[in-house]
Amino acid sequence: MTSVSLDELGPVDYVVVEFPAGASNFTGEMAAELRALVDSGTIRVIDVLILTKDADGTVEATELSDVGELGELETIEAELADLLAADDVDNLAAAMEPGSTAGVLIWENLWAAPFASAARRAGGQLIADGRIPIQAIIASIEADDETATAGD
Amino acid sequence: MPLRPARAGRVGVIRAPVAKTAVVARAVTPGRAPVAKTAVVAAAVTPRVGRRRI
Repeated sequence: MTSVSLDELGPVDYVVVEFPAGASNFTGEMAAELRALVDSGTIRVIDVLILTKDADGTVEATELSDVGELGELETIEAELADLLAADDVDNLAAAMEPGSTAGVLIWENLWAAPFASAARRAGGQLIADGRIPIQAIIASIEADDETATAGD
Repeated sequence: MPLRPARAGRVGVIRAPVAKTAVVARAVTPGRAPVAKTAVVAAAVTPRVGRRRI
Protein backbone atom coordinates (compact mmCIF):
# COMPACT_ATOMS: atom_id res chain seq x y z
CA MET A 1 0.00 0.00 0.00
CA THR A 2 1.30 3.47 -0.71
CA SER A 3 2.09 5.63 2.26
CA VAL A 4 -1.15 7.33 3.19
CA SER A 5 -1.70 9.26 6.39
CA LEU A 6 -4.42 7.63 8.45
CA ASP A 7 -6.00 11.03 8.78
CA GLU A 8 -6.39 11.20 5.02
CA LEU A 9 -7.62 7.65 4.51
CA GLY A 10 -11.18 7.35 3.30
CA PRO A 11 -13.54 4.60 4.49
CA VAL A 12 -12.66 1.18 3.14
CA ASP A 13 -15.42 -1.12 1.92
CA TYR A 14 -15.63 -4.52 0.34
CA VAL A 15 -18.04 -6.53 -1.75
CA VAL A 16 -18.17 -10.19 -2.67
CA VAL A 17 -19.90 -10.61 -6.01
CA GLU A 18 -20.95 -14.17 -6.70
CA PHE A 19 -21.37 -15.65 -10.16
CA PRO A 20 -23.38 -18.87 -9.90
CA ALA A 21 -22.22 -21.75 -12.07
CA GLY A 22 -23.16 -21.08 -15.70
CA ALA A 23 -24.51 -17.62 -14.98
CA SER A 24 -21.47 -15.46 -15.69
CA ASN A 25 -21.50 -13.20 -18.74
CA PHE A 26 -18.29 -11.19 -18.77
CA THR A 27 -18.36 -8.54 -21.47
CA GLY A 28 -15.77 -6.20 -20.00
CA GLU A 29 -18.47 -3.81 -18.79
CA MET A 30 -17.65 -4.39 -15.11
CA ALA A 31 -13.96 -3.71 -15.68
CA ALA A 32 -14.74 -0.54 -17.62
CA GLU A 33 -17.04 0.77 -14.88
CA LEU A 34 -14.46 0.01 -12.20
CA ARG A 35 -11.76 1.72 -14.22
CA ALA A 36 -14.01 4.77 -14.61
CA LEU A 37 -14.47 5.00 -10.84
CA VAL A 38 -10.72 4.86 -10.34
CA ASP A 39 -9.95 7.32 -13.13
CA SER A 40 -12.44 9.83 -11.74
CA GLY A 41 -10.80 9.65 -8.31
CA THR A 42 -13.95 8.31 -6.70
CA ILE A 43 -12.30 5.18 -5.34
CA ARG A 44 -8.90 3.56 -5.03
CA VAL A 45 -8.86 -0.21 -5.44
CA ILE A 46 -6.92 -1.78 -2.59
CA ASP A 47 -7.29 -5.47 -3.30
CA VAL A 48 -8.96 -7.97 -5.59
CA LEU A 49 -9.20 -11.73 -5.29
CA ILE A 50 -11.06 -14.30 -7.34
CA LEU A 51 -12.54 -17.12 -5.27
CA THR A 52 -13.92 -20.43 -6.47
CA LYS A 53 -15.86 -22.83 -4.30
CA ASP A 54 -16.11 -26.42 -5.42
CA ALA A 55 -19.20 -28.55 -5.00
CA ASP A 56 -17.60 -30.06 -1.90
CA GLY A 57 -16.98 -26.63 -0.41
CA THR A 58 -13.27 -26.45 -1.10
CA VAL A 59 -12.23 -22.85 -1.69
CA GLU A 60 -9.44 -21.68 -3.95
CA ALA A 61 -8.23 -18.10 -4.21
CA THR A 62 -6.60 -16.61 -7.28
CA GLU A 63 -4.70 -13.36 -7.57
CA LEU A 64 -5.98 -10.96 -10.20
CA SER A 65 -2.53 -11.08 -11.80
CA ASP A 66 -2.97 -14.81 -12.41
CA VAL A 67 -6.23 -14.44 -14.32
CA GLY A 68 -4.58 -13.73 -17.66
CA GLU A 69 -5.34 -10.84 -20.00
CA LEU A 70 -6.49 -8.03 -17.71
CA GLY A 71 -7.27 -5.31 -20.23
CA GLU A 72 -8.88 -2.37 -18.37
CA LEU A 73 -7.77 -3.82 -15.04
CA GLU A 74 -4.07 -3.91 -15.79
CA THR A 75 -3.21 -0.54 -14.25
CA ILE A 76 -5.50 -1.23 -11.30
CA GLU A 77 -3.76 -4.55 -10.65
CA ALA A 78 -0.39 -2.82 -10.62
CA GLU A 79 -1.53 -0.59 -7.74
CA LEU A 80 -3.06 -3.27 -5.51
CA ALA A 81 -1.97 -3.31 -1.89
CA ASP A 82 -2.61 -7.01 -1.13
CA LEU A 83 -4.45 -6.10 2.06
CA LEU A 84 -6.28 -9.40 2.42
CA ALA A 85 -4.54 -12.13 4.36
CA ALA A 86 -4.72 -15.81 3.53
CA ASP A 87 -6.89 -16.16 6.66
CA ASP A 88 -9.50 -13.88 5.14
CA VAL A 89 -10.25 -16.20 2.25
CA ASP A 90 -12.38 -18.69 4.19
CA ASN A 91 -14.30 -15.93 5.95
CA LEU A 92 -15.12 -14.25 2.64
CA ALA A 93 -16.01 -17.53 0.95
CA ALA A 94 -18.46 -18.41 3.72
CA ALA A 95 -21.10 -16.43 1.82
CA MET A 96 -20.58 -18.35 -1.42
CA GLU A 97 -22.68 -21.20 -2.77
CA PRO A 98 -20.84 -24.40 -3.68
CA GLY A 99 -19.98 -24.47 -7.38
CA SER A 100 -19.77 -20.70 -7.70
CA THR A 101 -17.08 -18.16 -8.49
CA ALA A 102 -16.83 -14.80 -6.76
CA GLY A 103 -14.87 -11.62 -7.11
CA VAL A 104 -13.77 -9.87 -3.92
CA LEU A 105 -13.18 -6.16 -4.27
CA ILE A 106 -11.77 -3.93 -1.54
CA TRP A 107 -11.66 -0.20 -2.13
CA GLU A 108 -11.08 3.09 -0.42
CA ASN A 109 -13.79 5.68 -0.84
CA LEU A 110 -11.60 8.59 -1.88
CA TRP A 111 -14.66 10.80 -2.27
CA ALA A 112 -15.36 10.52 1.46
CA ALA A 113 -11.83 11.17 2.71
CA PRO A 114 -11.90 15.01 2.72
CA PHE A 115 -15.24 15.06 4.53
CA ALA A 116 -14.11 12.46 7.08
CA SER A 117 -10.90 14.38 7.63
CA ALA A 118 -12.81 17.61 8.16
CA ALA A 119 -15.17 15.87 10.59
CA ARG A 120 -12.19 14.62 12.63
CA ARG A 121 -10.62 18.07 12.65
CA ALA A 122 -13.92 19.40 13.95
CA GLY A 123 -13.70 16.95 16.85
CA GLY A 124 -16.11 14.40 15.45
CA GLN A 125 -15.70 10.67 15.94
CA LEU A 126 -17.22 7.98 13.74
CA ILE A 127 -19.39 5.94 16.07
CA ALA A 128 -21.49 4.03 13.53
CA ASP A 129 -21.70 3.41 9.84
CA GLY A 130 -23.27 0.90 7.54
CA ARG A 131 -25.33 0.26 4.48
CA ILE A 132 -29.09 0.17 4.16
CA PRO A 133 -30.13 -2.83 2.03
CA ILE A 134 -32.42 -2.04 -0.89
CA GLN A 135 -34.75 -4.69 0.47
CA ALA A 136 -35.13 -2.73 3.71
CA ILE A 137 -36.09 0.40 1.77
CA ILE A 138 -38.63 -1.57 -0.24
CA ALA A 139 -40.10 -3.07 2.93
CA SER A 140 -40.33 0.33 4.60
CA ILE A 141 -42.09 1.98 1.66
CA GLU A 142 -44.44 -0.96 1.14
CA ALA A 143 -45.36 -0.83 4.83
CA ASP A 144 -46.07 2.89 4.46
CA ASP A 145 -48.26 2.18 1.45
CA GLU A 146 -50.18 -0.51 3.32
CA THR A 147 -50.72 1.83 6.25
CA ALA A 148 -51.97 4.55 3.90
CA THR A 149 -54.29 2.10 2.13
CA ALA A 150 -55.66 0.82 5.44
CA GLY A 151 -56.47 4.38 6.41
CA ASP A 152 -58.59 4.93 3.28
CA MET B 1 -2.57 -20.88 -8.08
CA PRO B 2 -1.11 -19.90 -4.72
CA LEU B 3 -1.66 -16.52 -3.18
CA ARG B 4 1.22 -14.12 -2.98
CA PRO B 5 3.56 -14.93 -0.08
CA ALA B 6 2.89 -11.55 1.51
CA ARG B 7 -0.62 -12.71 2.40
CA ALA B 8 0.54 -15.68 4.47
CA GLY B 9 0.90 -15.18 8.19
CA ARG B 10 -0.69 -11.76 8.12
CA VAL B 11 -3.50 -10.89 10.49
CA GLY B 12 -6.78 -10.91 8.60
CA VAL B 13 -9.07 -7.92 8.24
CA ILE B 14 -12.30 -9.89 7.73
CA ARG B 15 -12.82 -10.92 11.31
CA ALA B 16 -15.63 -13.46 10.96
CA PRO B 17 -17.34 -15.60 8.34
CA VAL B 18 -19.30 -13.38 5.97
CA ALA B 19 -23.04 -13.98 5.85
CA LYS B 20 -24.75 -14.05 2.49
CA THR B 21 -26.98 -11.05 1.91
CA ALA B 22 -30.23 -11.15 0.00
CA VAL B 23 -29.59 -11.10 -3.74
CA VAL B 24 -30.29 -7.54 -4.82
CA ALA B 25 -29.99 -8.28 -8.52
CA ARG B 26 -33.12 -10.41 -8.42
CA ALA B 27 -35.11 -7.76 -6.59
CA VAL B 28 -34.52 -5.17 -9.29
CA THR B 29 -34.40 -7.38 -12.36
CA PRO B 30 -36.77 -6.06 -15.02
CA GLY B 31 -40.13 -7.78 -14.99
CA ARG B 32 -43.59 -6.81 -13.89
CA ALA B 33 -43.36 -6.87 -10.09
CA PRO B 34 -39.63 -6.06 -9.76
CA VAL B 35 -40.01 -3.00 -11.98
CA ALA B 36 -42.64 -1.75 -9.60
CA LYS B 37 -40.20 -2.29 -6.75
CA THR B 38 -37.52 -0.35 -8.57
CA ALA B 39 -39.93 2.55 -8.87
CA VAL B 40 -40.71 2.29 -5.17
CA VAL B 41 -37.04 2.50 -4.26
CA ALA B 42 -36.50 5.39 -6.62
CA ALA B 43 -39.37 7.22 -4.96
CA ALA B 44 -37.94 6.54 -1.53
CA VAL B 45 -34.61 8.12 -2.30
CA THR B 46 -35.98 11.08 -4.24
CA PRO B 47 -35.48 14.46 -2.54
CA ARG B 48 -38.49 15.19 -0.39
CA VAL B 49 -41.02 17.73 -1.60
CA GLY B 50 -43.83 17.86 0.83
CA ARG B 51 -42.91 14.46 2.27
CA ARG B 52 -42.71 14.18 6.05
CA ARG B 53 -41.34 11.41 8.24
CA ILE B 54 -44.21 11.63 10.69
